[in-house]
Amino acid sequence: MAKHNLHQTFHEIIEQHKGLLVKVARTYCGNEEDRQDLIQEIRIQIWKSLPKYDANFAMTTWLYRISINVAISFYRKNSIRRQYTIAKTLPLVIDPLPNDLQEKFNLLEKFIAELNEMDKALIMLYLEDKSYLDISEIMGISVSNVGTKMGRIKEKLKKRFLNHKEN
Amino acid sequence: MNDTDLKYLWQTSNEQIAISQKSDKTSLDYLTKRNVSHFLSSMKPIKIFTLLVGLLWVFSIGYVLIKLTINAYDQVSLYFLYSAYFQVMLTAMAVIFYLIQLSTLYSIDFNNPVVILQKTLISLKASTLNVTRILILQLPFWTTFYWNESMFKNGTLPLFILQGAVTISFTYLAIWLFFHLKIENADKWWFKLLLQGKEWEPLITSIVILNDMEEEVASDKD
Repeated sequence: MAKHNLHQTFHEIIEQHKGLLVKVARTYCGNEEDRQDLIQEIRIQIWKSLPKYDANFAMTTWLYRISINVAISFYRKNSIRRQYTIAKTLPLVIDPLPNDLQEKFNLLEKFIAELNEMDKALIMLYLEDKSYLDISEIMGISVSNVGTKMGRIKEKLKKRFLNHKEN
Repeated sequence: MNDTDLKYLWQTSNEQIAISQKSDKTSLDYLTKRNVSHFLSSMKPIKIFTLLVGLLWVFSIGYVLIKLTINAYDQVSLYFLYSAYFQVMLTAMAVIFYLIQLSTLYSIDFNNPVVILQKTLISLKASTLNVTRILILQLPFWTTFYWNESMFKNGTLPLFILQGAVTISFTYLAIWLFFHLKIENADKWWFKLLLQGKEWEPLITSIVILNDMEEEVASDKD
């Protein structure tokens, strides 16, 4: 790919998929400053990996692989410096949702934040309506393994919502 | 809350998300035109510097030792000469390990599936321990390089006992650490004391998570 085309493609990818980057950052980072840093790290890695992009893969599969890989590495590195604190969470929502939905959404974000780095990726992809096949390609595990893992994560989330309701 | 509710909640919030977030064209241009370093490539300069220092040490001390062996073999203490040879040899091995690490660092491919890439990154980080383990094997030679023939001819029993105890305990310690200084032991007090355990704890957690993923992959194949 010519250098000019590469720049053009890069701009288009970032513009078209900026929502994807924000969602990954929201899943892995508890505060706005870290989210912006992570989005920048992901953009850098997308630019570096672009010449190696294999057109046999769907663009979103490729982008999720890179974004989650960067996010997990970033999250691990940051968790050494400071632990994730829910108190720091600043939602990336401009117009707040209706009150009851906003409260539920905050709880969902909180419960996802409690999951380990791999489970965070799995549930995010699931909530994004990705098929088990897509998730297995992104994560590098078998489809049935995705199913097993997903069952456990969903059960965990349901229990957390239930416990919260009872309390 | 069921699956449909969860997905609805997530997707509704997506619609509200900061879609207005502009991809600032100037900052994207800056990113593509300059060789912007990120957190992984920031690992490289310090490794290259360490590698250069290691190579300089091995070649300069190695050169002096070879010169001494050729020109003054009868005049220098053989305990000193061979202790120094072993030290340089172990440093050279550590440098080779560093070189392998550096080449792995350059070959990291973020296009890989998540589990595969994360395993590579973790084993890369864990392999830094191998360099430390090799260098620790130098310990006993620091207790032998000052030995000389006159010490053996004129030494007293307490001196021999003291010297023997020091060399044997350093040898035992070096071998013990060589076999036990592994990521699996990062939660042990002596590991934390030696290598600031906090840095390693997230790594152990990640290894457990990835092994858990792998075990299920293996059971899946059965």
